[in-house]
Amino acid sequence: MEKLYSVGIDVGTSTTQVVFSELCVADTSGHFRIPEAKITDKRVLYRSPIHPTPLLDFTRIDADALRQIVATEYKNAGISVGGTDTGAVIITGESARKENAAAVLAGLSGFAGKFVVATAGPDLESRIAGQGSGAQEFSRMRKCGVVNLDIGGGTTNLAFFQSGDFVGCSCYDIGGKMLQIASGGTLSAMSHSAQNALRYLNLRLTIGTVPERRVLEKLATVLADELATAAQGKTSALLEKLRTPGSSLPPARVFADSRISYSGGVADCIWDDTLSELAYGDFGVYLGKAIRGNVLSERVLRSEETIRATVIGAGSHTTELSGSTVHYSSAELFPLQDIPVYAASSEQEAALWRGDCADFAQDFLNFIHQTDSPHAAVELNGKANPGYRELTLLARALVRSLTGQPLIILLHEDNAKVLGQLMRPLAGGRALIVLDSIYAGANTYLDIGKPVLGGMTLPVIVKTLILGV
Amino acid sequence: MNEQALRRLTDAITDTVLRKIATGSKDGKAEAAANKITALPSTVNDDITRMKQSTSARIAVGRAGARLRTDTYLAFRADHAAARDAVLLDVNLDFLARLGLESVSTRCADKNEFLTRPDLGRVFPHESLEKIHTLNPEPVDVLVYLADGLSSRAVEANGETILPILLEGLRGTGLKVGQPFFVCYGRVGTMEEITQTVGAAVTCVLLGERPGLGSAESMSAYFAYNAHPGMSESGRTVISNIYAGGINAAEAGAYLTEALERAFREKKSGV
Repeated sequence: MEKLYSVGIDVGTSTTQVVFSELCVADTSGHFRIPEAKITDKRVLYRSPIHPTPLLDFTRIDADALRQIVATEYKNAGISVGGTDTGAVIITGESARKENAAAVLAGLSGFAGKFVVATAGPDLESRIAGQGSGAQEFSRMRKCGVVNLDIGGGTTNLAFFQSGDFVGCSCYDIGGKMLQIASGGTLSAMSHSAQNALRYLNLRLTIGTVPERRVLEKLATVLADELATAAQGKTSALLEKLRTPGSSLPPARVFADSRISYSGGVADCIWDDTLSELAYGDFGVYLGKAIRGNVLSERVLRSEETIRATVIGAGSHTTELSGSTVHYSSAELFPLQDIPVYAASSEQEAALWRGDCADFAQDFLNFIHQTDSPHAAVELNGKANPGYRELTLLARALVRSLTGQPLIILLHEDNAKVLGQLMRPLAGGRALIVLDSIYAGANTYLDIGKPVLGGMTLPVIVKTLILGV
Repeated sequence: MNEQALRRLTDAITDTVLRKIATGSKDGKAEAAANKITALPSTVNDDITRMKQSTSARIAVGRAGARLRTDTYLAFRADHAAARDAVLLDVNLDFLARLGLESVSTRCADKNEFLTRPDLGRVFPHESLEKIHTLNPEPVDVLVYLADGLSSRAVEANGETILPILLEGLRGTGLKVGQPFFVCYGRVGTMEEITQTVGAAVTCVLLGERPGLGSAESMSAYFAYNAHPGMSESGRTVISNIYAGGINAAEAGAYLTEALERAFREKKSGV
């Protein structure tokens, strides 16, 4: 068994948090089978206090103050900078849309260790919040459907799980900081989404005045109902107005008996009835109370993690392991960072299996030119039970169409070792990496860490780098 | 009745019953039963579907009075027939010709003797050993061969993929690889006399596993460094479940290449 140390940093709309965790990696297969490396245990070693995200003004994050927070948390945890093997910095909700988000991320990513990624995007955010909250684990243990709603300051991220599998997600601009209320009780700021929702409902609130309680409660009730609709995988006219740009549509089918779990800062407002309505100077408590009164509450689970779900997800669930039978020409190639992924279309893949690479080669070359990266990974589906002849044709077609090095191939099916073995003699000494059990998809990037468990498997992070969409 | 005939019959009966239900049969009882099934609350159906998806075991198959439903019973009979076929049928000669494999036999005279006398399935008559020696006149680093074991189906389903990948991979590592062949009525222990005859450092046999009702196509690879008569079972390494539902034959071939190369380099095998 080996241990990997992982850091998770989440810069959210209203809060910034850091956690350190350890991931145990072991071969879980018996003596008489092909090895199977798995992450067998995840343990959170240190949780930082919840810091307010430092802002310079409404459109910019205070990068220096943020670096200071993270540096202090490394010190408090007793972990040296660069003492982590893997991890993720993520910038979520409204923060991702700040003017300087990309620069802030880049700064933090470099600071927090070598194999730490900067990543963002509503879909990934939904998934890791659902993993960090414990919703996925519940779904796996009970073999049931669970929908996790992570309600933060700026957005609500929905993640749908079925028997432990992530089956889809969606994201809406609904959150506690939609309306900000100053200490005197006057309305101090309103998000675009709040304005949209109010206009749709024919309600009116004016900045600088004390908002009418009736209006706040009406808005909260409507939004709680809308979230309940969204949790069933359905949509409505208002939800479409509030959908976060760049987020996915929910999965086509959600089991009728799916359980519901809530995480994020607003989740704490659902259960705590001692909170005064203006405890956080925003709309969060109203929203939490409205959700509590909602009809779906009988199917609601208490999440293991609420406000820390996203950061724990970022620290413990972003790293996956490749399949345990893989091929790479040298361990010296790693770590590799920011490799763009080219997902071959099913037509292209079918042609490659027939040994025909004309279409694919041209497309791949164009892709490389667009990315400014010296190399890119090709993602293929692979075959569940491929034959010898078709594999040799595929190996030949791939070697012929890929330029530069290392050649990097990702497969879903368990084909990596054999494809690597067949490609190696054809590659003429070019470095070669073939991994399986990795699902990346278009518009993603990969980080690949150093091999673990005696070279059996490699830690991989799939990330999206979509900022300010 | 053989497997194919049983499957055809199952399909035909299921088809007829379904059509009767669909067209509104006069048999009120059947109709009521059908309605009862569809009237289950959807959450229960979802649960059953999920349970069934998690295993290949025959769970939640329902019943007809005190006994199994006809389609369940026939599917069971068909799977059982497939398992029996896999044990009792011989490996197809065309298959061996396609792979260019010579066939040698152990001391078992027929299938029945092979199944009842495990000891004879490990040893060879003189002519067989001579034939193996003619195929491999010089000592080799690694020798790989196929044997029927308890499932001829497994050999036919996986042999054509795993063997060329394994041989090509081993040659790529620069090892001297022996000429493969096929052993009829062969058990794992055949590697002992064969290793002595050829003078192989590492010997690997690919053979059919005892079929279950889930799959009749599963193959195992057993290999040993310096196999010899009287060696202990713990001296052998095994990789099992090589079939479409376990590890696919191609990937297993690549993994085995590395494992055999390592056994040769480190001069050891077993647990």
